[in-house]
Amino acid sequence: MNWLNWLSDFFSDPDHRSGPDSILHRVSEHLTLSGEALLYAALLAVPLGLLIGYTGRGVNVVTALAGAARALPTLGLVTLAVLLAGVGDTAVLFPLVALAAPPLLVAAVEGVRGTDPDVRDAARGIGLTHSQVLLQVCLPSAAPTLLAGFRTATVQVIATATVAAYVGLGGLGRYVIDGLATRQYAVTVGGALLVVLLAVGAQLFFALLARFALPPGVRAQRRAR
Amino acid sequence: MIRFEGVGKRHPDGTVAVEGLDLEVPTGRITVLVGPSGCGKTTLLRMVNRMVEPTSGRVLLDDTDVAELEPAKLRRGIGYVIQQAGLFPHRKVIDNIATVPYLLGWDRKKARARAAELLELVGLAPETAKRYPFQLSGGQQQRVGVARALAADPPVLLMDEPFSAVDPVVRAGLQEELLRLQSELHKTVLFVTHDIEEAVRLGDQVVVLREHGRIAQLADPHTLLTSPADDGVAAFLGRDRGLRGLGLRPAKAVELRPVDDGLRYGGWELALDDERRPIGWIDRSAGTAELQPSAGYRPDSDTLRAALDAAVLSPAGVAVALDADGRAIGTASREAVLAALTPAGGGPVSVRKPDPADAMGTPAGADTVGTADGADVVGTADGADGGR
Repeated sequence: MNWLNWLSDFFSDPDHRSGPDSILHRVSEHLTLSGEALLYAALLAVPLGLLIGYTGRGVNVVTALAGAARALPTLGLVTLAVLLAGVGDTAVLFPLVALAAPPLLVAAVEGVRGTDPDVRDAARGIGLTHSQVLLQVCLPSAAPTLLAGFRTATVQVIATATVAAYVGLGGLGRYVIDGLATRQYAVTVGGALLVVLLAVGAQLFFALLARFALPPGVRAQRRAR
Repeated sequence: MIRFEGVGKRHPDGTVAVEGLDLEVPTGRITVLVGPSGCGKTTLLRMVNRMVEPTSGRVLLDDTDVAELEPAKLRRGIGYVIQQAGLFPHRKVIDNIATVPYLLGWDRKKARARAAELLELVGLAPETAKRYPFQLSGGQQQRVGVARALAADPPVLLMDEPFSAVDPVVRAGLQEELLRLQSELHKTVLFVTHDIEEAVRLGDQVVVLREHGRIAQLADPHTLLTSPADDGVAAFLGRDRGLRGLGLRPAKAVELRPVDDGLRYGGWELALDDERRPIGWIDRSAGTAELQPSAGYRPDSDTLRAALDAAVLSPAGVAVALDADGRAIGTASREAVLAALTPAGGGPVSVRKPDPADAMGTPAGADTVGTADGADVVGTADGADGGR
């Protein structure tokens, strides 16, 4: 049996067409979990990053911590979380948020710090308050960097969300883990392919977003540098 | 009016940027702070809108200590223009200009209408409104910067080397534009530059600063150029300050010979076309019809410097006076131009009664502060008004 046959087996299996083990359901579980993790990570990291970038205080700490956090083993974190919080969403969300937060934090810090100092000076000088400078000037200026951070975080989270199945939750990891456990390699390969497709899709989505959703002035400014 | 009272700035590391400065910036006029880098001129300017807080003394804006005002609110009432324009890259030109009106809570329509008005005022085409800053040239960006500063019609304008980053031709255009705007708007302008030429061109009053914000001389441009307070100021003004001083005096003072009997000078004859526009000089003694270019000036708008320049450039040694359409209205020999350089009765500048407050902190002998009107409004030179 070659892998093409595996794939056709995987996609033609009626169990994968409808019901709780259907591809659509697993993909939606996977995306929900990833989305949740990204949301929490963003709520945590972005405001903090904007503030640190704006004040310039704690930048070194952020850089060091972000580097260290990247070395954290996700599977180890999941195990730890299960031991501490028991099996459940939290056990999976915790390592995923820990995975997504550092790139978002760094992107927010660097994005804000990259704001043209003359523009900041002018903004203050014509009467914007600190929060107005941060939100109306630094945030738009940081948008491209921030978007790149979201892209990195999203791809990593989608790829890693497979660990949810390790602690008995849903998502595409189910196919991978169940396939291995039952020696149904077709299922494992199919699940793995779906994860890859989702990750690539996320990449494309962010590339398009950067292309069309950013204000032209910010895009051009990046090109000029 | 802006008043600096015993203002000083000492940085946390102990270096002194400004030490005990007293200065008055009169309402409705352009005051230029000029000096070498590190003389504290930008620091002084930024104290007015509290971008820098003085460590001693105080800055008064219409008799209110700015330290008592909330910074953001204070700044919304003061126009601020910086060297790199500092436009918001993600906003269209129209919204850049409307920034302060938005901050003040104007409704969008009114703010944009005002911004469109300003766009025209600073000499930009209406279609510029929809552009982004990166699509504009440096000079255009600077115009937008000025428009943004004027948007809420603040009485005071702070300009920190606003024209230093553009090339000389564009700079000259922007300077002219500023003088034109000022003749309409009468703002209280505090202008910082390191370029003495610019200072003399724009200032009603020029403050030459030395390190630590010490005033070397405070004077109107004419006084500054003709009687610098000391050798240091003279050196800063440069060698040809006498010639540059001519740039502050109107060319009207030059006596003209009517065109009809003034076409021949020595062996040279001025050739005119049917509209009486000069074509060039013909050397009759050479016996050829070869034309040498003629140099002209406008008696009603040019300065003595331009008249002298035209006379020096002309092969016949004769400047041609032109009207607005380029038609010759008279000629002036080098001798005639030179005669206008030494008018009877002193300088051409109308000197206001010196205000004692203006002399604060000024070295003795340099305290005759006139509010000389800049290059455009001198007009009191005696002598013939031959051009008319």
